[in-house]
Amino acid sequence: MRLKKYLTLTRAGMIEALQFRLGTVVIVIGNLLYLTVVYFLWKAIYASSGTDVVNGMTFSDTLIYLVLATALFNFMEMYAVWEMGRSIQSGKIVLDLLKPMDYRRLLFWSYSGSFVMNFLTTFLPTFIIVGAVTHGAIPLRLNLLYFAVSVIMAVMINYSIDFFVGTICLFTESIWGINIMKQVVVLLLSGATIPIAFFPEPLKTVVMYMPFQSIYNAPLTLLLDGSPDIEDVLMILGTQLFWCITTTVISKLFWKVSLRQITVNGG
Amino acid sequence: MSKIIEIRNVTKEFKVLNRREGLKGSLKDLFSRDYKIVKAVNDISMDIEQGEIVGYLGPNGAGKSTTIKMMTGVLEPTAGEILVNGNAPYKNRSRNAQEIGVVFGQRSQLWWALPLVESFKLLKDIYQIDDKQYNSMLDLYRSLVDIEPLLHKPVRQMSLGQRTLSDILAAFLHDPKIVFLDEPTIGLDVSMKAKIRTLIHALNKEKNTTVILTTHDMGDVDALCRRIVIIDKGRMLYDNDIEHLKGFFGSYRTLKIRIDGDMKEKAEKIHSELPQFSVDSDDEWISVLVDEDKEKVIDVLAGLQKKHDIRDMQLEEISTEEVIKKIYEEGVE
Repeated sequence: MRLKKYLTLTRAGMIEALQFRLGTVVIVIGNLLYLTVVYFLWKAIYASSGTDVVNGMTFSDTLIYLVLATALFNFMEMYAVWEMGRSIQSGKIVLDLLKPMDYRRLLFWSYSGSFVMNFLTTFLPTFIIVGAVTHGAIPLRLNLLYFAVSVIMAVMINYSIDFFVGTICLFTESIWGINIMKQVVVLLLSGATIPIAFFPEPLKTVVMYMPFQSIYNAPLTLLLDGSPDIEDVLMILGTQLFWCITTTVISKLFWKVSLRQITVNGG
Repeated sequence: MSKIIEIRNVTKEFKVLNRREGLKGSLKDLFSRDYKIVKAVNDISMDIEQGEIVGYLGPNGAGKSTTIKMMTGVLEPTAGEILVNGNAPYKNRSRNAQEIGVVFGQRSQLWWALPLVESFKLLKDIYQIDDKQYNSMLDLYRSLVDIEPLLHKPVRQMSLGQRTLSDILAAFLHDPKIVFLDEPTIGLDVSMKAKIRTLIHALNKEKNTTVILTTHDMGDVDALCRRIVIIDKGRMLYDNDIEHLKGFFGSYRTLKIRIDGDMKEKAEKIHSELPQFSVDSDDEWISVLVDEDKEKVIDVLAGLQKKHDIRDMQLEEISTEEVIKKIYEEGVE
């Protein structure tokens, strides 16, 4: 595998992202509106609960968690389902299949450029602002390293799930419903919209056994805990690694089988 | 000359769900296992040599795209064998991809938001083209078309013609052995069509690239192809030189004349004088389809001139288009 082949796609993605400056501005404004809603919603929840600490999290804990989850969402969400569905419907996928490169990799690396750009333009500024406003509520120790490793695996798990769902589009030839369903399931069960600590006990147990919490809950837990037990860290990263491998293998296999189906029966 | 593509008795079948009518029928379809087999391509064989330009023709839905998809490796034949450059394309699509270039007139493989030169650089890395080859290819392009203004223009701002031109250049960039052009001139104006034909011709000559061209534009065929293959309903109808095609229908020419008076009446009269030829008439012209194997057009005209006062005349060659239309409609006997 020659890395240059792939990094060139990263580079193109970065240039591509830079062409749409206005888009970034709109995303930032959209996020601010979303976070305003989140702020007042949780303020109301805490006010009506009558205590400062709900489910082991203070108001500012919750808010920091959700702000960072939103920032993480912006940089990890790649709309691969959307992209795959569209190129399947339009038939453009034939052109992509005729590149001397595995389609799964081609798509991933095509997105990698926007990861880099979104990391720099949305996640990093948010992280710095949150850090500054809360005067060090985010610890800056070894946890940053754990977080970095964790995010890379989260990106891969997220992509595998996206790619799996996108492959379904080969059969259904519709995108909208499937994409929305996937998004709701992932955002809810991963703890991106509501911290998992707030889930009722049975649901919490179920969610912990699913791959989704490895996407948002895992990296954010690692980031926000300044002095974790090394055992906990290894447990979280190990779980992520497990899901990373499992989802990658499943999505690859599913794609291979589906593509074979398509080349035999036509699409 | 060596064979670059060999197709042996290839058949491709699709399983299609039998759809029923109406809402009730659609609901039933959800659980239906009632499939029918459609033969998109039926027992096709041909050999294509390195450096040929082959016109691959047929009416809509004839099975052209299916054949091309099989040659590129996107589809696997149900029966028969395809060898492209000695390999079965569907078995190793990635390796085959290195040897072929594709242009689909309706879609673009270029990066929509980026200037053309960035797309070229991407393709350079994806196909692992070395610097020397890349630069010499760009030099060749510069000598053939005026690409400088295109290179730094984002693809989304290009006109359809510029985009098609760029797509063709992109398909040839990694110096593939075969390029598939699927309706490359669709929707283009006359001068752009001519430009693209010249370009394809020059690239084929320069690089000895095999070109498989599907089109509905007989201008493309006349300008580029020496050999044509015609298929319809999945079956091969014709595979030979373009000159042969015209010979197929005898050496017909249409003589059109204009005579004062009622055209219909005159036409009947002429037909009685020349019973061996078919005579037609419309408001302006009386057309006589002359078979030159039987009688020379000039003699027919001389004969007519003695009896009628001819005010105007035209002579029409039978065009490739008409021949092909005839084949589509009647087949080859």
